[in-house]
Amino acid sequence: MLFPTFGFLLFFLVVAAALAALDGHFTAKKAVLVVASYYFYAAWDWHFCFLLAFSSAVSFTAGLLIGAGTRKRLVLTVAIAMHLLLLGTFKYLDFLTLSANRLAHLLGLNAELPFIEVILPVGISFFTFHGISYIVDVYRGDVAVCKRPLDMLLYMSFFPQLVAGPIVRASYFLPQLARPSDAPIPIAAAAVLILGGLFKKVVIANYLATGLADPVFGAPTSYGGPDLLLATYAYAVQIYCDFSAYTDMAIAIAALCGFRFPRNFDQPYRAQRLREFWQRWHISLSTWLRDYLYKPLGGNRYGRLNTYRNLLITMLLGGIWHGAGWKFVMWGAMHGGGLAVERMLITPRPKTLAGKIVSTVVVFHFVCLTWIFFRAEDFTVASLFIGGLFAGWSDGVQQAGPFTVALILIGMAGQFTPVRLFEPLAARLERVPVWRIGALTGIGVALVNALGPEGVAPFIYFRF
Amino acid sequence: MPREPTSPVADAIPPRLRRKGGTPRQVLALTLIGTLALGLFASRDLPSWTERFEIPALSRLAATWDGAMAALGLTRPHETLRAAVARLIEVGWGGKD
Repeated sequence: MLFPTFGFLLFFLVVAAALAALDGHFTAKKAVLVVASYYFYAAWDWHFCFLLAFSSAVSFTAGLLIGAGTRKRLVLTVAIAMHLLLLGTFKYLDFLTLSANRLAHLLGLNAELPFIEVILPVGISFFTFHGISYIVDVYRGDVAVCKRPLDMLLYMSFFPQLVAGPIVRASYFLPQLARPSDAPIPIAAAAVLILGGLFKKVVIANYLATGLADPVFGAPTSYGGPDLLLATYAYAVQIYCDFSAYTDMAIAIAALCGFRFPRNFDQPYRAQRLREFWQRWHISLSTWLRDYLYKPLGGNRYGRLNTYRNLLITMLLGGIWHGAGWKFVMWGAMHGGGLAVERMLITPRPKTLAGKIVSTVVVFHFVCLTWIFFRAEDFTVASLFIGGLFAGWSDGVQQAGPFTVALILIGMAGQFTPVRLFEPLAARLERVPVWRIGALTGIGVALVNALGPEGVAPFIYFRF
Repeated sequence: MPREPTSPVADAIPPRLRRKGGTPRQVLALTLIGTLALGLFASRDLPSWTERFEIPALSRLAATWDGAMAALGLTRPHETLRAAVARLIEVGWGGKD
């Protein structure tokens, strides 16, 4: 069930009606949200609801045992291992089997492991990280032990973030479940986020995908350098608009249910350093990796070489988190290597306007280069793509038209608008009566729908 | 002894935009009115949206509704926008393709 669909709208109508009827009954409201979240998840494949429930049970039990002080370290290790085992089985088993068989073939061995073709449960990477963050936070004493199973079920399954994030920490979300919030629901801000998110996904991301990125990445040898370069920019804008749109809508839907979500994007392509890019891109993942991987590995505390190693390991694993494939390993390695080199050079932040522009352009193009590996079908296609960037410049463009180029420019312009442009808009809308906000939102959604292509493509981050 | 819950990340919707707002009942009203407005102005796509539910009666109702909206002229903005975008997509670098 995708957010920008009629099915989701009907689903949310039922949820909103239930929440309105249960206003003032906090436990009942949470129970309704758990049922709704499991229904939402079952819309993909109901079998995996058991996996989600099991993952929640592991986290809940581990939290209780750690809180009781029983062999804390052992419980922590076993619980994390169980989460990783589930993730490894469903997400990486096929990849590992294929890689092992290829290696055996290269070594001239006849032995071959059986290929099972495991179905990847939607959102498993996200709820696994939720579970691990809770257990580690309880162990560290950063969050109180969750003693209500209902709260744990909701923390792990809350439908706005269930399948594509943002990764909401236990220390951020569980306190919101402890007692009802008396803050009003930010209806105007939610409406602006929904409309902005829809525009980014339905218009910008979908047209860039169908009009340029998909055909060019599908057959890079059929195009010359200009198309390949524009397709790279198109994908950079597409993935940002696709993922940040999902996040915007998730934040808005959570807000309409009465909950707060953290910020996940902050105009990443305006970053002047790669480190800054990671402070602006998928913030909930980058801070997760920092706090649960980079810092426990030693962070920057044990000398330069160890810092570079830790950066590389963190980003390599961050790459693998995105998907089971060598192209994601390469993507992570490039980011890890880039961060290490940046630290090695100790580049100061540029002070002049020219310096800032050059830094931004360099960082953006480095990120674009990594996106080629991320998007290409495999390593070979990525290599052909990069090779093709330097050829066929005299042929001009075949695939990219003024419309797709305009969309790339609009997407990039969004990176350089005054920070949080939506705030004054939302503040102005706050003064408008709710019925009018509803009508404006409905008309806005209809207009965005008319502007977009027919049908809704799945969000890129669903496969992670 | 557990420390106070920490929140190392910033809220996506800042507190200053949470001072005024609504209640769950107003959220329901917003959703209902929004759905109605969507039904009025996006009726052209309603038949294809409802097809996915595989309920023939619902599909027929959506088609009838779309016909009624077209008779009222409410489908014109949708058709104009879609046609305009289709024309924009066709435009090549030398002007019209």
